[in-house]
Amino acid sequence: MRKLMDIVGESEVLYKREDLIAYECDGYTMYKGMPRAVVFVQSTQQVSEVVKCLNKEEVPYIARGAGTGLSGGATPLGGEVIISMVKMKRMLHLDLENRKAVVEPGFINLKLTQSISDKGYYYAPDPSSQYACTIGGNVAENSGGAHCLKYGVTTNHILGLEIVLPSGEIVEIGKEGIPDQPGYDLLGLLTGSEGTLGIVTKVTVKVLKNPEGKKTVLAYFDEIDDASQAVSDIIAAGIIPAALEMMDDVAIEGVESAAYPVGHPRDIAAFLLIEVDGIVAGIDDQIEEILTVCKQNNVREVKVAKNEAERALWWANRKMGFGAMGAISPDYLVQDGVIPRTRLPEVLAKIKEIGKKYNLRIANIFHAGDGNLHPLILYDASVPGESERAAKAGSECLKVCADAGGSITGEHGVGIEKAAEMRFIFTDEEIAAQTNIREVFNPKDLLNPGKLFPQPGRCVEVKRAGQNEMQPVP
Amino acid sequence: MIVSDIENILPKEQIKENKEQDHLLGNSGVQIIEAYSEEDISKVLAYAYENEKTVNVISGGTKRGYGGEIEKADILLSLANYKGIVEHSVGDLTMTVRPGTTLKEIADELALKGQSVALDPPWPEMATIGGIISANDSGPKRLLYGSARDLVIGLRVVYADGRVIRTGGKVVKNVAGYDMNKLFIGAMGTLGVISEITIKLRPLPKYEGLSLLHFPDGNGQPIRDFSVSLLDSMMEPVTLELLSPSLAEKLTGKSSYTLAISFEDRENAVIAQEKWVRENLPAGVELTVLHQEEAKKWWEDFRRIGPNGYNDEMNEGTTLAALKIGSNNLDVLDVLQTAELLAETHHVAMEGHGGLGHGISRVYIKGQQENTAAFIHALRGKAEEKHGYVVCTHLPFKLREAVNVWGERPTYFALLEGIKKVNDPKRILNRKRFVGGI
Repeated sequence: MRKLMDIVGESEVLYKREDLIAYECDGYTMYKGMPRAVVFVQSTQQVSEVVKCLNKEEVPYIARGAGTGLSGGATPLGGEVIISMVKMKRMLHLDLENRKAVVEPGFINLKLTQSISDKGYYYAPDPSSQYACTIGGNVAENSGGAHCLKYGVTTNHILGLEIVLPSGEIVEIGKEGIPDQPGYDLLGLLTGSEGTLGIVTKVTVKVLKNPEGKKTVLAYFDEIDDASQAVSDIIAAGIIPAALEMMDDVAIEGVESAAYPVGHPRDIAAFLLIEVDGIVAGIDDQIEEILTVCKQNNVREVKVAKNEAERALWWANRKMGFGAMGAISPDYLVQDGVIPRTRLPEVLAKIKEIGKKYNLRIANIFHAGDGNLHPLILYDASVPGESERAAKAGSECLKVCADAGGSITGEHGVGIEKAAEMRFIFTDEEIAAQTNIREVFNPKDLLNPGKLFPQPGRCVEVKRAGQNEMQPVP
Repeated sequence: MIVSDIENILPKEQIKENKEQDHLLGNSGVQIIEAYSEEDISKVLAYAYENEKTVNVISGGTKRGYGGEIEKADILLSLANYKGIVEHSVGDLTMTVRPGTTLKEIADELALKGQSVALDPPWPEMATIGGIISANDSGPKRLLYGSARDLVIGLRVVYADGRVIRTGGKVVKNVAGYDMNKLFIGAMGTLGVISEITIKLRPLPKYEGLSLLHFPDGNGQPIRDFSVSLLDSMMEPVTLELLSPSLAEKLTGKSSYTLAISFEDRENAVIAQEKWVRENLPAGVELTVLHQEEAKKWWEDFRRIGPNGYNDEMNEGTTLAALKIGSNNLDVLDVLQTAELLAETHHVAMEGHGGLGHGISRVYIKGQQENTAAFIHALRGKAEEKHGYVVCTHLPFKLREAVNVWGERPTYFALLEGIKKVNDPKRILNRKRFVGGI
């Protein structure tokens, strides 16, 4: 502790139990562990020195941003030192002519767009937590968002990284943000590595020009199958909407009871929120086609946002959707499976069956356009056994996605939560191919240990849910 | 199983002795083995790994002059006949394809369903998807559509010891585990042999137009200013590709710096954007506008420039070279102007183009070997001054010994070496084909 204080200053290290409680978990609250200390770093050099010090003492450590992650990636298993990046939050360079910005990892996602919007630019990845989450965290998780259907996820917008390796060495990858630099694509490998390969200390991102026009459609359906079919038909019509979101009846009940009610009919099965952007002259045609597709699929009502205020309300209603579940359930678990979008109807039906089987309500709020489902499993942690049932139901939802040719996570990451479920989609040999790569960067496995990959011999049943006490290192 | 004799594991009609003298481009093999399946690839690699035989991999052969310091490996593994689309899921906008399929074959089949792979590298009739991904090849349209790293969502890869490993998946959004796909894109086959590729598709554009802006001789400022204002507008060009006067002459008949600006969208939207170009056209700039078939035809011709592995001239002394230069987006203008000047002082013929919105330029050189080598050296020096790089994507084998194909090793070379060691500890795959002799 003394050594860490020597590097960052006494006031920048937390070590008292009461100060550490806030760092027991991230946005995934089912699993908690107590860190040994929290260290606030302010420069790349400090990160390097802290890492070297911890390395020497063989103390495990975790880099943490805003702690909004949804899979436990920044949650200690017990005894790690947390290196908090939140004080490294400056924008270092902005070069609009070359469409790039350089920020420190603690820079907040939404702030990036806000700081360039007056010039007509924005940063595309827009996770729902964008008002709080950091760019460094986005890199670690390869975060997505509602608009990644057309514009891609974080990895498509990262041009360069400065990282501190677990050896303490500082490395610059993608110098100046110039593309395709000779060598293996380490930018691509590091993005989404959930903080297990290095600590990001500087990020060069691509910024985009605002689209000339934007129109948003809301379509109410009486049958979930009709809504799903409309999703496929829109894509098949050759339209790539900027966003294509879906919400089912249980989810609607939640968002209408929360802070941003829109007045959605309460007796519909699902709605689609569809946004088209681009050159103004081309948008109306696409909107017409979307309306036609919706009508062909028995839509009850479909409308185009009349103004920016209406559009903003629809989006606030959607983006606060997860939190809104708090209005109808004491606790909820967010899942994050992905399926080929053509298989939406059958997978949604199976998820409904899972809800029945475990006697839990499941709400669905998701990115229908790219088949990224977010079943929200509603439960009450104070009812004995319900947390465990929720975790099992969540895992089963992921199994259904995997069996449909999909993935166990589209944007929330594996973290602690889905480590065991990695086996749903990868063989042990394929997992070893990945952990072997980890060893190249992180040979002692001191950096964010126990995440992302299943522990040998550990299986779904071992996962503990809903306990608020500190967990032993599994 | 120890296999000491390749003839025992593959039918003998798939194996032949290479009687050819040294190939101009190298990257050859003593035995040429044709793979017809993933299993064949796996068997060949398992055999080679056991017996420590080196393996070069080839399919269309268009990138034979791209890297490589070994004239003949023990085995030249050909994937040219391992081809075909395995699955095209129209509603999901995804396709799974075998590596030996040419881009043209893919494009033709997808077009029947109104879709395409948004990659536009040169020589689509010859270049295979496996080679394009392995070399991370791209074209001007990467400005809007991205490059291979933005499109590939899943791979099957045969590792050096014959193991088959899947990376990614078949869905368009996936963060389960490390994004291992990225490692194999542009790895020049040094980490494994890609045996299947799953890739995101796009709907074919409803309408396309191409505006060619011929800038008068003189300084480049108007080109820069126009490009900056287009990029700062809300227009959505698919390309903003600058052609050197020599290349423009070949493709447009006009010997002046020319911007090729494509729009692909609904017809109304294309017309609206072309209107913007007309209204913002700098004084003295001549404009040619092509639509639909004419525009497509122009790009087809564009994609038939430069070396393709088979069109080298065999006469002594003269050589063809191709360079990929990475720079800041707007430095592309500077790269092309510098290349033009250096070509003159080094007595080589030069054609080039580069994307002002994406920072990748291509320069094609024809000249005496020593002049070519000196030109590359000089251009690399200039590019590096502005933090850019020069990679030689095509050079005769002999010249590759004299010119460092990839430039200097990056400071983090140990990581690259570490990754190679994990995937191919005996270094049998495309040995010395990549950065720093990996």
